[in-house]
Amino acid sequence: MLKINTKTGLSSLIIFTVLLLAWVAGFSSRLFAVIRFESIIHEFDPWFNYRATAYMVENGFYKFLNWFDERAWYPLGRIVGGTVYPGLMITSGSIHYILHLLNIDIHIRDICVFLAPVFSGLTAISTYLLTKELWSAGAGLFAACFIAIVPGYISRSVAGSYDNEGIAIFALQFTYFLWLKSVKTGSIFWACMTALSYFYMVSAWGGYVFIINLIPLHVFVLLLMGRYSNRLFTSYTTFYILGLLLSMQIPFVGFQPIRTSEHMAASGVFALIIAVAALKYLQTMLSKSEFKSLFIVGALVAAAVVFLAVVVLTYAGYIAPWSGRFYSLWDTGYAKIHIPIIASVSEHQPTTWFSFFFDLHVLVTTFPAGLWYCIKNINDERVFVVLYALSAVYFAGVMVRLMLTLTPVVCMLSGVAFSVLLDLFLREEDTHRSGDSDVDDEQTTSSNRRLYDKAGRVPKMKHEQVRESDGIGANIRSIIIVVMLLLLMLFAVHCTWVTSNAYSSPSIVLASYGNDGSRQILDDFREAYYWLSQNTDDNARVMSWWDYGYQIAGMANRTTLVDNNTWNNSHIALVGKAMSSNESAAYDIMTSLDVDYVLVIFGGVIGYSGDDINKFLWMVRIAEGEHPKDIREGDYFTEHGEFRVDSEGSPTLLNCLMYKLSYYRFGELKLDYRSPSGFDRTRGAVIGNKDFTLTYLEEAYTTEHWLVRIYRVKKPHEFNRPRIPFSNRVVKSQSFISKKNTKRKKGTIKNKPVIVKGKKLLKQA
Amino acid sequence: MLEQFFTLPYAILEVPNMKIKKPSWVQQPSAMVMFSIILASYFLVTGGIIYDVIVEPPSVGSTTDEHGHSRPVAFMPYRVNGQYIMEGLASSFLFSMGGLGFIVLDHIHSPLTPKLNRILITAVGFICVLVSFFTTWIFMRMKLPGYLQS
Repeated sequence: MLKINTKTGLSSLIIFTVLLLAWVAGFSSRLFAVIRFESIIHEFDPWFNYRATAYMVENGFYKFLNWFDERAWYPLGRIVGGTVYPGLMITSGSIHYILHLLNIDIHIRDICVFLAPVFSGLTAISTYLLTKELWSAGAGLFAACFIAIVPGYISRSVAGSYDNEGIAIFALQFTYFLWLKSVKTGSIFWACMTALSYFYMVSAWGGYVFIINLIPLHVFVLLLMGRYSNRLFTSYTTFYILGLLLSMQIPFVGFQPIRTSEHMAASGVFALIIAVAALKYLQTMLSKSEFKSLFIVGALVAAAVVFLAVVVLTYAGYIAPWSGRFYSLWDTGYAKIHIPIIASVSEHQPTTWFSFFFDLHVLVTTFPAGLWYCIKNINDERVFVVLYALSAVYFAGVMVRLMLTLTPVVCMLSGVAFSVLLDLFLREEDTHRSGDSDVDDEQTTSSNRRLYDKAGRVPKMKHEQVRESDGIGANIRSIIIVVMLLLLMLFAVHCTWVTSNAYSSPSIVLASYGNDGSRQILDDFREAYYWLSQNTDDNARVMSWWDYGYQIAGMANRTTLVDNNTWNNSHIALVGKAMSSNESAAYDIMTSLDVDYVLVIFGGVIGYSGDDINKFLWMVRIAEGEHPKDIREGDYFTEHGEFRVDSEGSPTLLNCLMYKLSYYRFGELKLDYRSPSGFDRTRGAVIGNKDFTLTYLEEAYTTEHWLVRIYRVKKPHEFNRPRIPFSNRVVKSQSFISKKNTKRKKGTIKNKPVIVKGKKLLKQA
Repeated sequence: MLEQFFTLPYAILEVPNMKIKKPSWVQQPSAMVMFSIILASYFLVTGGIIYDVIVEPPSVGSTTDEHGHSRPVAFMPYRVNGQYIMEGLASSFLFSMGGLGFIVLDHIHSPLTPKLNRILITAVGFICVLVSFFTTWIFMRMKLPGYLQS
């Protein structure tokens, strides 16, 4: 008894220590950006989340829910409370609240920066729990360690990347864990917990659709495999009804769960499982032939009713068809043709082999092995993980961004594979050392156990065989173990390298490295936004491409036209049209939109490749989608179909607003002695249109490295007249006094030449 | 009552006298078949087949060298989100090979395998894993020249 106690105590101590270390390692490997730069919010979307969180902390939750942001999407505005997943803001807001109750005075920005790294530890723990349900505690520990440091997850959860995904992956894993728990036990308690966790997930991320489709799929496949049980019935019906009601409480989701096609599978499966349960119940009461005819009638009637209901409801408009974002997951060419705004985002591009290896490293090869073990020893939970793996692999192939949902399942299955393999090579050595490790052996490696059942022999047989193989195995085994540890070590090295080099750039502060290893910080973005906030009117409208909308709102606190919440395609297309038409046509659009300033990002001086000229073709495409008469993508290419900015580029391109704003005065700039003036480092070409002036705009500010250029849009009275230098100006003198009076009505002519006979005319100035 | 309910349709309809047999090839697929299908799809997806379908890259790229001859290039260098078809397939082949290597290793497990076979299986498994691992490493170096340096 005592022995067992110490053993379980020891193993729980090990589990605790490993999970703690995983948390610490995961947390600290996400801090590269904070250590190199500072505690700052990264990228684009996090700026909005931060701004919303700060608003909520300042004004309270209810004001946040009713927040109408008139500074975005000018002149439309945005209802923030109803168009946002509030889980992230509520999470960090409540952490802030609790810490302040404890008198720990911490700024909300620091909570936002460190939220994702802290949650990565929770993700590791929930992955441990899920894998433990699935296989064994050892596999769970492996999986927890993998997910703590795997680049595919770190890419979305470094310190400062304050985004929905950071907390959503935790919610996802935890919901799945609770779901498996409830399927296993069939208890209403666990099903309710699943629904609650699902509620948190719905409040946090739009990816909840993955859960509400995967769980019904699991149920459906279990039904097909003839694995129906009352446990399944209890847990699914409880989960579905509670989860449906809870998810409808989020204002942004609203009635979608009963109206859109994404959610229809869940309700279909709900109807199906009730039908199956009813049939199973009737089966116990009826004779076989009666049951058969009932079954046929029931099935036909049910199928007809469901089909008709769906068709009628869709036609009547109660069920919305698939939204474009989800539709593009099935028909992969759809986005490219119909929705350029979805295809334009780089993280919506399809995945190449490189991303798989870069984000998962050795796990990409152990994943099939883990899958194999799960398929070989299938049970209800493993069916779930197999489906999870399959769907996640497919979605990750369609979009780079969805590597994020693949990563947890890869970690779990790799954990299974490594744990089984190490089990195999480490454990057999000490089989005959003590009696109780043998018992362990029997419990954990299930295929061993099956062998016992088949052979029906006493364990002694195995001992002999093991001893026989031990003779050859000892050396090989240690080699194998060393190699495996080496692989794991290389994995850790790779993860750290990738994290430090690829995923830890805040992208609003850039760093460049000189040949001697010295570091230069390019802080142009914040310079420009600070200029905007200090030197422009509080109500000034700033036009820029939508990527920078959140940053302008967050850092400069100015009104923007479009931002990263790309809900209104035609508005974005209007901005795209302004950027891609010539100056006078653009001016009409800009005056109609009340634009005061235009902001463009230009990387030609420092060789920054993510600038507006490189994104320009997307602006053209999006504009073309809405205004096919005015903008044609073909006009911006040369005759050979090339996109080039040098003198061979198409004239439409060389005269459009974006080109002019990017390259204004750039022709005079000589970057170094070897290159000619006007040499664009990003495109590697001398620009084609060097000497031009701007009529309708004037340069307001250009940052140190020319990264951000801000132009002021002139008012109509400012450019209609030619500008005359001050010295040449003639000012009418107002000192003329008429000499006319009531008696003398004869007028005089001013500067009338006085004629004196015999003299030439004297000109008077 | 209940009997009337489910015999009601047959008062109107006549049951056709025919026998439909479940065809013999329709059955629940075995675990190995399922796994092969999954592995094949995994092979295709990790090879970026969806990227190939959408972007339609050439199967092998080409450059011009200093003499003006055009030479084939297998890897699209420096571009992490671009690939040629062949490089994707080659690397996903390596991924699957590594995966199979790990699966083969599992067969040492069964105590019925003779001694020599065990050594062979271990060797094959490990060669697969190591070859795939290091070749992928080399691929990475081609794709991203600064990989694991600095």
